[in-house]
Amino acid sequence: MNKLSVDNLIGIKNLKKQDIDLIFKTADHFKEIINRPIKKVPSLRDITIANLFFENSTRTRLSFELAEKRLSADIVNFSAAQSSVKKGETLIDTANNILSMKVDIIVMRHPNEGAADFLSKNVDARIINAGDGAHEHPTQALLDSFSIREKLGTVKGKKIAIIGDILHSRVALSNIFALKLQGAEIKLCGPKTLIPKYITKLGVAYESSLEKVLEWCDVANVLRVQHERMDIKYFPSVREYTQLYGINKKILNAINKDIVIMHPGPINRGVELTSDVADSKQAIILNQVENGVAIRMAVIYLLAQQIKR
Amino acid sequence: MNILLKSVKIIDKSSAYHHQVKDVLIKNGIITNISDKISKPNNCKEITLNNLHISNGWFDTSVSFGEPGFEERENIEHGLEVAAKSGFTAVAVNPNTNPVIDHKSAVEFLMNKAISNAVDLYPIGNLTQHAEGKELAEFFDMQNSGAIAFGDYNKAINNANLLKIALLYAQNFDGLVMSFPQEKTTSTLGFVNESLNSTKLGLNSIPALAEELQIVRDLFLLEYTNGKLHIPTISTAKSVKLIKEAKKKGLKVSCSVTAHHLVLTDDELKGFDTNYKVLPPLRSLKDNKALIKGVKDGTVDMVTSDHNPIDIENKKVELENALYGTIGLESIFGSIQPVLGLDIAIDSLTEKPRAIFGLSKLKIAKGEIANLTLFDPEMEYTFTKENILSNSNNSAFLGKNLKGKVYGIYSNKKLVLR
Repeated sequence: MNKLSVDNLIGIKNLKKQDIDLIFKTADHFKEIINRPIKKVPSLRDITIANLFFENSTRTRLSFELAEKRLSADIVNFSAAQSSVKKGETLIDTANNILSMKVDIIVMRHPNEGAADFLSKNVDARIINAGDGAHEHPTQALLDSFSIREKLGTVKGKKIAIIGDILHSRVALSNIFALKLQGAEIKLCGPKTLIPKYITKLGVAYESSLEKVLEWCDVANVLRVQHERMDIKYFPSVREYTQLYGINKKILNAINKDIVIMHPGPINRGVELTSDVADSKQAIILNQVENGVAIRMAVIYLLAQQIKR
Repeated sequence: MNILLKSVKIIDKSSAYHHQVKDVLIKNGIITNISDKISKPNNCKEITLNNLHISNGWFDTSVSFGEPGFEERENIEHGLEVAAKSGFTAVAVNPNTNPVIDHKSAVEFLMNKAISNAVDLYPIGNLTQHAEGKELAEFFDMQNSGAIAFGDYNKAINNANLLKIALLYAQNFDGLVMSFPQEKTTSTLGFVNESLNSTKLGLNSIPALAEELQIVRDLFLLEYTNGKLHIPTISTAKSVKLIKEAKKKGLKVSCSVTAHHLVLTDDELKGFDTNYKVLPPLRSLKDNKALIKGVKDGTVDMVTSDHNPIDIENKKVELENALYGTIGLESIFGSIQPVLGLDIAIDSLTEKPRAIFGLSKLKIAKGEIANLTLFDPEMEYTFTKENILSNSNNSAFLGKNLKGKVYGIYSNKKLVLR
């Protein structure tokens, strides 16, 4: 297979295993390129990409922008803070306005679940979901799996713990879909208040104890608590959260193996991870960032291939 | 107008002609003859329609027509035409207007809009002033002006003491209090059912728990006050169970269910289609089954379309930003008949809701007022945009296969056909 089975990247839910394999194969190639002295390829010289960020983002936006530039695409950036969205313009109108300027691909982050899907049904461009509410963040899940594959050789059969705020996390959901598709085993861990009631029906297990889940896993993907999505405190204090679910060296030293520590960023140092863990050799957090560019280059490149030119 | 309905099958279990095929003669609004063969008198219009059935006129207890305030969605005059062509001779209109219906003159405004219409319009007044859930509205005064029940549509009464007082006070004039079943604190940010689907879509949810908690609270208040309560549009299996137990205890509680909660589930949300964003949210197949059983065994007293036209500007948006509601008058009969059967479907639209909301009893018999719905229960079709009569297109039934088509109504001496 040398072509994706989808026209847009809305969620991992819509992908097949072969799509992921193809994206990884392509990303391998781009990763090699971005480590050359001349990091740029002319592949997308005639493609224009709009980055629409209706929600704050630093690393994802930079990562996409860098990926687009490395592919030589023309880009326009748009963020809600400086846009007419605040003046009451609808999402369709904003997107259509940008499309009238002949944009081929839209990369969008939006606070509402389903926004990327909505856009794909209403505007004529390839859509890449850069995070829609608590729904999906497909490129993050792809780069996470890619990083696991790079570190451990394969994702299949690996034991992955996802720890933290699962309820409000698009990263968790996309990771679950991606890891299941590749045959990994998954356990979720975190305060019960932050675990969706029906999540185990997705074929994942829940483990309440941080120590037990760390002992079990090969990889711990640690998530941030998303205070901004909460209408009420789901636990009494950050201090108490850290007591129950913060990972520190002492806990890691107590288990008999070197597990891989991942984090999609931004890290709240001293809350979910102590600095000595985040900066340790076990942590592949910065590899994730580097792989993010390669993965996004691959996704953009593969979707752009499908545009008739 | 005098009308002769030729070879119609009569569906009215209180009538001597139930399930019989007869000719029916209506003179000046009164059924004057029901016989095997009636020859057409002078000055009479003869109606012959394929597989024509008649029942007592249907009554929908939860309809929104936008006016006043949201005329871009629907207005009363056109809304009543939609109702008539969908088989309804009576509708209770919700107070989800702007301004709301929380005082006598607002009720009178609605009543005046429907004068001399084929369809009887019955306003539901707000239970609380400005629908804010803080102070009771003057609902005795509104009842005297024609309002038949009192509630804040799909806004729950959060203050238990306020509902307690309303349930006590309404007993002085036999008022019907309605309480929307949603406990707010357990569903603050939610807008879809809590399920595997909401989990997969990452959507904030309204758990079944939120509805059931409120119903439990309301039933306790009802028992304490010995009042009379209507719970509109229940949606979960446990709600059916709770109400069944309450009725067994002798509490004066009634409830309705919407057509969409009988036949659709939250599986429909997979494509983030805002036409399926309704309140209460669509639930599971298990809930569908329990609700259907509830209608069949009499626990659920009536079926409503909860017809709620919403303009495209408030539907063609992201799911979270879309307004709740589906239109339903046009599709209700065709959607519920396959699951309830003809007799129960008709019952759930006629006798029981009329009795609970205090409307006069209808009967298909000589000398009775002709208040009839004309339909063909066998016709099967796929519901498409062409079948929509409303000014708004937000139907959760688009693309669904329905069984049973409506020809129209005869009511208030007027014949309205599609």
